[in-house]
Amino acid sequence: MKVLLMGHPNVGKSAVFNRLTGANVIESNYPGTTVDYTKGYMRIKGEDITVVDVPGTFSLEPKDKAEEVAVKMLEEEEEGTVVICVIDSSKIERGLYLALEIMERGYPVMLALNMWDVAEDKNIDIDVEKLRKIFGIPVIPTVAISGEGIGELVKKIKETRPVEVDKIIKKVGGIDGTNRR
Amino acid sequence: MEKKLPEMRYEEKGVVKMIEGGFRERVAGMGIRIGKEIKMLTKQPMKGPVVVVVDDARTSLGLRIAEKIIVEVSK
Amino acid sequence: MELTVDKRWNLIERISKETVTFGRYRHTLKDAIGELTVKPLMGIPVAIAVLYGFWSVFCSFAGTLCTDGFLVKLFDARWLPWIQANFPGKGSWLYYILVGDPLADNCFEAFGVLTSGLFVPFGVVLPAVFIFYLMLTLLEDIGYMPRLAVLIDTVLHKIGLHGYAIVPTILSLGCNVPAVTATRILETKKQRFIMMTLLAIFIPCGAQLGIMQEVIPDTMGLVLLYLLIGYFIFGFVLNKAIPGRCPEILIDVPSYQMPTRRNVERKVWMRTSGFLKTAVPFVLLGCLVVNVLYLAGVISWLGDVFSPIFISWFGVPKATVGPLIAAFLRKDLAVAQLSAIEMTKYQMITSVVLVSIYFPCVATFVMMLKEGWRELLGSLGVLVAVVFLYGGLLHLIWTLMGVG
Repeated sequence: MKVLLMGHPNVGKSAVFNRLTGANVIESNYPGTTVDYTKGYMRIKGEDITVVDVPGTFSLEPKDKAEEVAVKMLEEEEEGTVVICVIDSSKIERGLYLALEIMERGYPVMLALNMWDVAEDKNIDIDVEKLRKIFGIPVIPTVAISGEGIGELVKKIKETRPVEVDKIIKKVGGIDGTNRR
Repeated sequence: MEKKLPEMRYEEKGVVKMIEGGFRERVAGMGIRIGKEIKMLTKQPMKGPVVVVVDDARTSLGLRIAEKIIVEVSK
Repeated sequence: MELTVDKRWNLIERISKETVTFGRYRHTLKDAIGELTVKPLMGIPVAIAVLYGFWSVFCSFAGTLCTDGFLVKLFDARWLPWIQANFPGKGSWLYYILVGDPLADNCFEAFGVLTSGLFVPFGVVLPAVFIFYLMLTLLEDIGYMPRLAVLIDTVLHKIGLHGYAIVPTILSLGCNVPAVTATRILETKKQRFIMMTLLAIFIPCGAQLGIMQEVIPDTMGLVLLYLLIGYFIFGFVLNKAIPGRCPEILIDVPSYQMPTRRNVERKVWMRTSGFLKTAVPFVLLGCLVVNVLYLAGVISWLGDVFSPIFISWFGVPKATVGPLIAAFLRKDLAVAQLSAIEMTKYQMITSVVLVSIYFPCVATFVMMLKEGWRELLGSLGVLVAVVFLYGGLLHLIWTLMGVG
């Protein structure tokens, strides 16, 4: 099993990576390019799981070589690879944009709502239970720098699954027309 | 009143009306989308980039990209 | 099922309306500083202060504290006399290669594999590279780099790049190898080519900076200024000459964050150890190759062959041919070697500039080759032109000033 950590730059993706993996971390070069990424390992119930810290990207429509590699790394994955989408909770809408793009392409996903403490400080209230219901996947608030929620994240990795986007659309009552605030 | 993004004054707020010329996808990941409130934080001198705030996140855009974004400002 | 951009945003706003409530939030001091430091009025003075602070910590930690305060004493007063006295076979070729000059009283001049070959990477360069990466990592993890990128965008725009090119540029002051890697954040081939060529030619690496600070502290500023001017002149020319698009900056300006200790440690360790892995073997090999070539008479032969160019075109002693060969392996080594050659202050400036702009070191060379041989050949073409024109120009300046 393999886990890809994906998310925007500066959302604490590397901090999540550091929390998940042990000391055995390898900096690798993506073949044919000079873009590097970090790879490490964790053990869940005796199973060795590869964790890859994918270069940060804002969307799956790459604008530079680093983002291109992020997309390629996702596209080349075989069966059994799951994506943990790391989101800055205080900028959740922007984060969900990337998460949705990944979901639309059919990859099994779970969401780590990182920097939860920052969102709390900014008085942003997120109904995690409702998000779980809408997406039907694990949604875990985390504070990677202090380690909060990381245990939960590991526990739920096996519950990661693909999301059917049309079902979400039905759940929220369609997306046609305008719904500006 | 409609304006191009770089024409906004410092600290002025507006709503994104239109994003021209294929830049819609490029700025979408940064949270800049039609119907969204946008605030001008600062403009760099000598045709430098602008910095805007959307959803409390700051993004810097070069002038030519910023010019493709049309905003509606009050007054 | 794939959505269009607008539909995707519609969906997100629906989801968000049901699950997220944005309460009132009063901006904190951190937010205010975060915004002030990207506005030109405050941002530019702060940027200058940050870069100046970076530079003075670099010099005082690496140069004054570690190298002069401790390591020079260790190497010159203990290690060098000990190995000169105890290594067997004084006068043999092996002694010459490994220990070097038996009469040298410092590790720059001895130039043996076990004297200069160890002193240069560990005594001078390691502290420089370590402190450089520590400070760079802190600036990155705090979230300052994007602000610097926005503030400097206007200037870099003139040479076909954009503000984010400041990242590979600064990284390159540590080591060109990861800097070549970092050119990936630029969008088009044209931009990456310009950036890579400018890096390879005009940006001295941390190793070289560390050595320059040891051997030519007084004239180092002039050398750097000359290189900086070259960076912009040739950047401007390349931008005009090369076809292709130059997309503009489009970056996120994150809030400031407290760097986490583990992240900083991991990054500094990876960068410093990565440097040691590429540098040390090349320094040792460099010493070996140069000494063997000296012994075999190749260097003096090359010196004679190229002396017209060296003396009349560049105005430097023909002995500089030795360091230029070493420069291909390691630039720090080459500067160390230059310091042992007798010449005027102005000739020294020219020689150090030549060492800087002449061929990138082998490690950078390999890295550039990975990016594509066509680009590499292009860069080398530019390089040859720059060495002759820009190196020659310096000689002309000295001549006009009457000091040539």
